[in-house]
Amino acid sequence: MTTKTVLAIVLFGGLSGLVAATPTLTEKMRGEKPGRTRSEAQSRVEWPRENPPRPLPARPVTFPPYELRKLANGMQVVLVSQNEQPVVSVRMLIRAGAAHDPKGKHGLAMLTATLLDQGAGTKTAEQIAETIDFIGGVLGTGAGSDLSYVTSIVMKDSYDIALDLLADVVQRPTFAPEEIERQRQQALSALKVAAEDPESVADRVIDRLIYGFHPYGMPGAGTAESLASLTRADFLDFHKKYFVPNNALIAVVGDIGAAEAMAGLEKHFGAWKAAEVPALAVTEPPDATRRVIVIDKKDAVQTEIRVGHIAIPRKHNDFEAVDQAVKILGGEGANRLQQVLRSQKQLTYGASADLDTFKWAGAVIAETDTQTANTAEALRVVVDEFTRLQRERVSDGELEGAQDYMVGHFPLTIEVPDAIATQVLNQLFYDLPVDDLPKYRERVLRVTPDEIQRVARWFIRPSQLSIVLVGDADKFVNDLKGVGFGTYERIPIDRVDLLSVDLMKRAGATRP
Amino acid sequence: MRRLSILSLVLIAAAVAIWYAPLHAAVRPPKLEYQRLVLPNGMVVILHQDKSTPIVHVELWYHVGSKNEKPGRTGFAHFFEHLMFKGSRNVEPEQHTSIIASVGGQANAYTNEDTTVFWQTIPAQYLPLVLWMEADRMASLRIDQNTFVTEREVVKEERRMRIENPPFGLLNELITFNAFDVHPYKHPVIGSMTDLNAATIDDVRDFYKTYYVPENATMMIVGDFDTDTVTNLVNQYFARVPKAAKPVPRDIAVEPLHTKEKRVTLEQPWPLPAIVVTYHVPYNGHPDSYPMFVMSKTLSDGQTSRIYRKLVYDTGLALTAFGSSSFLEQPGIFSAVALVNPGKSPDDVEKALIAEFDKLKTAGITERELQRAKNQFARDYVVSRLTIKEKASQLGHAEVIQKDMASADGEFDTFLKVSLDDVKRVAQKYFVPEGRMVMRIMPRGGVVEKVEK
Repeated sequence: MTTKTVLAIVLFGGLSGLVAATPTLTEKMRGEKPGRTRSEAQSRVEWPRENPPRPLPARPVTFPPYELRKLANGMQVVLVSQNEQPVVSVRMLIRAGAAHDPKGKHGLAMLTATLLDQGAGTKTAEQIAETIDFIGGVLGTGAGSDLSYVTSIVMKDSYDIALDLLADVVQRPTFAPEEIERQRQQALSALKVAAEDPESVADRVIDRLIYGFHPYGMPGAGTAESLASLTRADFLDFHKKYFVPNNALIAVVGDIGAAEAMAGLEKHFGAWKAAEVPALAVTEPPDATRRVIVIDKKDAVQTEIRVGHIAIPRKHNDFEAVDQAVKILGGEGANRLQQVLRSQKQLTYGASADLDTFKWAGAVIAETDTQTANTAEALRVVVDEFTRLQRERVSDGELEGAQDYMVGHFPLTIEVPDAIATQVLNQLFYDLPVDDLPKYRERVLRVTPDEIQRVARWFIRPSQLSIVLVGDADKFVNDLKGVGFGTYERIPIDRVDLLSVDLMKRAGATRP
Repeated sequence: MRRLSILSLVLIAAAVAIWYAPLHAAVRPPKLEYQRLVLPNGMVVILHQDKSTPIVHVELWYHVGSKNEKPGRTGFAHFFEHLMFKGSRNVEPEQHTSIIASVGGQANAYTNEDTTVFWQTIPAQYLPLVLWMEADRMASLRIDQNTFVTEREVVKEERRMRIENPPFGLLNELITFNAFDVHPYKHPVIGSMTDLNAATIDDVRDFYKTYYVPENATMMIVGDFDTDTVTNLVNQYFARVPKAAKPVPRDIAVEPLHTKEKRVTLEQPWPLPAIVVTYHVPYNGHPDSYPMFVMSKTLSDGQTSRIYRKLVYDTGLALTAFGSSSFLEQPGIFSAVALVNPGKSPDDVEKALIAEFDKLKTAGITERELQRAKNQFARDYVVSRLTIKEKASQLGHAEVIQKDMASADGEFDTFLKVSLDDVKRVAQKYFVPEGRMVMRIMPRGGVVEKVEK
């Protein structure tokens, strides 16, 4: 999603920034190339030894234009116009997600979002589906931790039809009892499948370990008991509280001018009444504490590995440095984990680390998977990389490599109008200055190895890691002691309970 | 049947108004302009300029996929794709990706039944670098016993991750294994563990010499470039790659006509039973493939599609149900899959799925369903041309799979011409009991049943 304004700011300082990457690259290759081939090259012809060609002159790259508007009722609007293809997409965000689920009502935000297009205004679920499918459009709804969303993609001549549907779906959902039952059953079946998917179980358990009983640690997809307890009044109440225009952002993107886009929004959303949104009282997540959970799944051939701890929320002064530190650990364009686990040791197909940053908190989480017999070794490598990042200063060259990728990658992130809008919506959603968008290059390059070292020292905690291993436990638990993790809690996969203190389902378990 | 109220009459009136809104020029995507070059060594190069952002996408298609694999060597085409990142005369092992990353670009590759595709998206000024690296590995790949053995372990992890560990991960390969008798589409692209272990370094050398040759390569260059510059670069780096010593083999086992319905029952340690119904369908670009595509939209695209509506929404028989057709270079299959909801009967699910196909033979589809399918097709057509990567993929598909560049744009009209009679005729021709395979996969605890050759 994106927005647009008549900003045309040169992002890169002309050619200099991009061309500067070249000598570095050529040097890198020269340094490694000549006469060090240990393997046979399969040439069909005398193939020359050569240096890589020099780049062509670069064109300057600017952050594309977008416009920010606001309706009188407080709804924030982002517009990005681009007429390459005759298509328009509309995205609406509501500032309420799974974190807003009341105690014991886990899954409420998710199921509310699912029900939005299952009957709204004067249309039944079937009529809504028929309308959007017939025009060859797409309508989607969902909820994340901090937000709920509704999106639609239509051919440009169907913009009004899309807005008509969106307006009903967002403002006037029916929450018909039979649709509630239908979607509840679907959600319960989906839970059943997810409960046996090692990847899904690993993701849910690591969040619960890191965030504890903070809202981000709770199961956003619900539990069998919480889903069963949801009533029509719960949906109506959640919707009434949070689905108001002053709590919403919308982006209109694609082959449409600002005047037409705004006229449509005024027509369909102008009469939507603003209302006060209750503030959410959120406590701090717990401090990082070392804890190892082994989830036993007998037929698994691989172990899903998650390692992480609490980090920072999205809006934080050190975001840029922390983000780059995590990229060095396991992000695109760098990724020590991938280098060691895949390239050097062939222990996995993929390894990465992400900095998840939400409104109130965030976490650094490394993930990989490996065949059962290699579980302990892969775990040790991941933990060692946390330790290395915390103890050793990142070299100039390694940081430069990570930053070259981030800076060079920028033009790839503004290719399509949806991607432009997404960047603008993100800034607005997390209350960050949109003026930062054109300054991307400067923000990235401002971070130094000293900065990385400073933030890594306080936020990376190798001795307080949360660890989740989902796999065939009997075949690897005896190896854990040898890599420093002899103390662990073991739980059969069918007895995982995210709401109990020890994560174990049992009769009469106490729940906070 | 729904009782008609005043309200629904109003809604029907509104719907009728939409119905008569024709697919007009406004939604027609702009024509994909392109240039096609053929080098003296047989390599084809397709150029499409798009200067909207200063980036360029280079995509090199080798016309070799899992269907070209020798018996006992399933998974080899994909395994070889990995080896293409292990260095060539002027590029060190693993450096292809890191060099592209160091200029902010992205590079990767994928293998399917028909092709192996290497792609990179980069800031436009680095086009010479990418062309130079692609030519380097086409002409001088390093092949090394140690690399070969270690990378095989990565591919085996990939198989465990994608196929063996997740619930329902084996579903696709169980379907194709049982739906085909002899055609190599029977085997999964990733291959079996046994066959991966059996591969030798001589297989690698032979595969490289046979298939990674200019006359088997098509390169798409899409994005911000100057045509003269790019033509010179292509000639400079690729024209010097020699032709292969022998023609590229094209002998693929032919699937015999099926004469009897096939029924298969299996057990897997999955949380819910799965019911699968498949039929054989024509190759991509066959005149019958267009009405078939329309039926796949009617059966399974969106919440109003027949399979979803009947099995998920109306009856609650299934947690999820969908159809998908493999429109490949050679005849493939249409498969419908339903995961049976707890407490529902697999018999009922099977009957309901087959009934949807039978209905197409007797009653066809309605005018409105036809129009909806065409509108959905137009949307897919437009939204699959938003990025330079997607455009390159469309062009590659037209050249390599359809063998007709005009189809890149021409298919739009072919679709709009599909009639109700075409749909019924094609349904009657392909959705026949003797072409059908019905598979039930029931839940079981215990060991995963491996399907390997």
